[in-house]
Amino acid sequence: MTESQPTPQTVKDDQKVHGVVAEFTDVDSLLAACRRVRDAGYTKADAFTPFPVHGIDTALGIKPTVLPWIALAAGLTGTTIALVMQTWMNGIDYQYIISGKPFISLPAFIPVTFELTILLASFGTFFGMWALNGLPKFSNPMFTSPRFDRATDDTFFLFLDAKDARFDEAGAKALLSELGGEFVEPVVEDETSKVIPKGLLIGLATIIFLSFIPALAVLRMRVTKSGSPRFHIFPDMDFSPSKDAQQTTTLFADGRAMRPDVPGTVRRGDLDWDVNFKTGIDMEQLATIDAPRAAQLVALQDDVAVDEDDEVAEADAASEESAPAADETGDNTPWLTQNPLELSDEVLARGQQQFNIYCSVCHGMNGRGNGLVNRRAQKILATTWTPPSNMHDPTLYADVYPDGKLFSTITNGIRKMPGYASQIKAKDRWAVVAYVRALQASQNASLEDVPEGKRSEIEKEQADVQAQLKAAEEATADSAEESSEASSDENSEASSDENNE
Amino acid sequence: MSHKAVAIKPADDPAFQLPASLAGLSLPMIIVGIVALVGGAFFASSSVGGRFGMSSYLVAYMYCLTLAIGSLFFVLIQYLSRAGWSVVVRRIAELMMIMVIPLALLFIPIAVAAYSGSLYTWSVEGYQADHGIPLAIWEQKEKWLNPNWFLVRSLVYLGVWCGIAAWYYRGSQQQDETGEITITEKLQARSGPAVIAFALCTSFAAFDWVMSLAPMWFSTMFGVYIFTGSILSAHCAICLFSFLLQRAGALRDEVTVEHYHDLGKYIFGFICFWGYISFSQYMLIWYANIPEETHWFFTRSSDGWFNVSVFLMIFHWGLPLFGTMSRHVRRRPWLISSWAAYILVLHLVDLYWIIIPEAGVGLGGATGIISTLICVLGMVALMLGLMLKLAAGSRVLAVRDPRLGESLAFENF
Repeated sequence: MTESQPTPQTVKDDQKVHGVVAEFTDVDSLLAACRRVRDAGYTKADAFTPFPVHGIDTALGIKPTVLPWIALAAGLTGTTIALVMQTWMNGIDYQYIISGKPFISLPAFIPVTFELTILLASFGTFFGMWALNGLPKFSNPMFTSPRFDRATDDTFFLFLDAKDARFDEAGAKALLSELGGEFVEPVVEDETSKVIPKGLLIGLATIIFLSFIPALAVLRMRVTKSGSPRFHIFPDMDFSPSKDAQQTTTLFADGRAMRPDVPGTVRRGDLDWDVNFKTGIDMEQLATIDAPRAAQLVALQDDVAVDEDDEVAEADAASEESAPAADETGDNTPWLTQNPLELSDEVLARGQQQFNIYCSVCHGMNGRGNGLVNRRAQKILATTWTPPSNMHDPTLYADVYPDGKLFSTITNGIRKMPGYASQIKAKDRWAVVAYVRALQASQNASLEDVPEGKRSEIEKEQADVQAQLKAAEEATADSAEESSEASSDENSEASSDENNE
Repeated sequence: MSHKAVAIKPADDPAFQLPASLAGLSLPMIIVGIVALVGGAFFASSSVGGRFGMSSYLVAYMYCLTLAIGSLFFVLIQYLSRAGWSVVVRRIAELMMIMVIPLALLFIPIAVAAYSGSLYTWSVEGYQADHGIPLAIWEQKEKWLNPNWFLVRSLVYLGVWCGIAAWYYRGSQQQDETGEITITEKLQARSGPAVIAFALCTSFAAFDWVMSLAPMWFSTMFGVYIFTGSILSAHCAICLFSFLLQRAGALRDEVTVEHYHDLGKYIFGFICFWGYISFSQYMLIWYANIPEETHWFFTRSSDGWFNVSVFLMIFHWGLPLFGTMSRHVRRRPWLISSWAAYILVLHLVDLYWIIIPEAGVGLGGATGIISTLICVLGMVALMLGLMLKLAAGSRVLAVRDPRLGESLAFENF
């Protein structure tokens, strides 16, 4: 082997010295040298061995890596991104019910969170390692030494970096020889050309150019029209054999693709067959007065498949119920006089919401019967229109028009008003009843209805308002003459605006 | 991969003997253990209820059994992977795994309970009718869950475990005397089939002994869940026992920071594994939301059990995950041993959470928890006493294992 050993390299004048390297023949002498170098105060030194050597980190004074912290930070970032992303996407931005789970449902988020944590931790570790090692690095000055190839075979190297504050070429060389290093030599810059080969550049440019083509093709498709049918990458996903809503089918005799419920189907949570709750009638009492009708109503509730006769009967019942409340003799139904719901702010809020959605269009937000539909009907002088009731009419108060009857009216409808049983759930209908009662009370309340503690507040408010009204009245009286001129100006302006339009 | 030459002490070095201070504890511990075990179970039965008393006994039994079979798996996997690092702590695991033999005797009360119907509801007369389970389904269930067939299977599991444990224990002990390398080779060669037999027995035993407490519930993940707890707690126990042995004066030079570091890595890994497995089991059942599957978790997410579930999530997974994540913790023997002791306690909470809800008396109240604790401590003391007795008669390190040198010189990167 000795005959083929290259001689130590020498430094030319124009070359930069990166450091000094020395060879060692065995691990122990290398480790001893490392310790001495560390103790001498060198911090930028490196050792090269053909195999991993335990304890070389401490011998060289290399501190434990910060890579675990990078991995932890990246992993936690992944956790955060995943949770925030899913919360935003599924919980806020595009709420979509999946498997009946809540929109923000932590257990369902965990798999993605786990995956993203692992992914980012891996990326953090991988690229963090690159960053810490200064990769990618295509060449290292160490490779300029021909002897250095044996670092992967049977020789150990110790390198002192010129960047070290203590570095001094002669001193470093002396130290390494003193420590038993052989072939102590300076490490110089690589002299080979740094110009990237032309072939490589052309290849790179070609790849970059080609990579634009798919994007350009997509862009072109986005802005042009084509006579030929679209290309379907996944035809079975684009043309699902399953039927959409409202489509027809040949599979069933009635041709409907959307299948009606199987007779007897009960929705989950709808098994509470409380007949009183669903009709607003005290059935036990009705059974004593009018047994056949009670039996019929109970049967109606039990039997989901309503046949024609039953519907007629129901219509009869509805018409009977729709008789004016004043006509006491026509309606002997034992209506529930009390709302079966436990009244609370929540129930009233729910009732208000449902009332505003379904009832206020005709009855008006305040229940005075002048909703938008009514106003429109009057404007176009609709001949078949029956104006909606005023909720504040004394005939609709709880004492003459019981809660159960009001509930039944909402359920089955009256005059022009359709039944709302299919739109509003029974519970919500009762909530609407409760809200209507609250509305009625609000329009007819006296000071006695207000709790003791709050009366003084109300009185104060009342006094304030009256004072303000009085002041406003006086003000208008004082400025009546001035304002008459001003208002005539305004009027003329307004009319001129209209003319312009 | 080490250049470090390590001198192996002679086989009769006092460092390999159980310290006298520990050997003397053997008999008192056995006596106290038996008294506490019987007393705790009796106290639980009389104060809370018969089924609860048997459930407490099952908690204690499963606690020691999971440690024993976890150690058995540890030993098997070291032979299977021809691991060198673990030789210095393998004898501790061997002493724990051989405890399946006394545990096989301690199975008798459970077998009796299976016949008398005082533990498993499926062996109670009229269970099907009382719970409105369709007869056709129950007839199929009964083909598997009936006392006789249950006993046969249990004997098979215990037989397989005891057989494997005894064979590996004897082989390792023989090598202490002869130093034959062929013994290691033989043990290695059989470790593959042994692991397969172990896996099947463990999984089915978990189904039979624990999962069948709720006879109409099933989870294919459950066997792995029990196994996870056992392998995690086994690593913790090995770590803790090594530390205690060293504190008592044995193995001072043999078990080094490097071994604690490796055990710590496994503890950390199996904490993740426990979280992964228990969450997977929960997730699939929660998502599918099929009534016959969800009731097990429903029980554990209502009443006081919900708090225990959250407690486990935070303190069995979250806290130790971050606690054992750092290299600095794992390279400090007293710190990682403290975490090991902590997880051993949490493993008990885990088993309590698995077993006790099926007794149908809620959390069991203060008396229930204390009596279960007495029962568990009794069983643990009994096992420790037997282990110390056994260890006093042999050595606490496999002194002539061919890989001992490698293990002594073991270093992490």
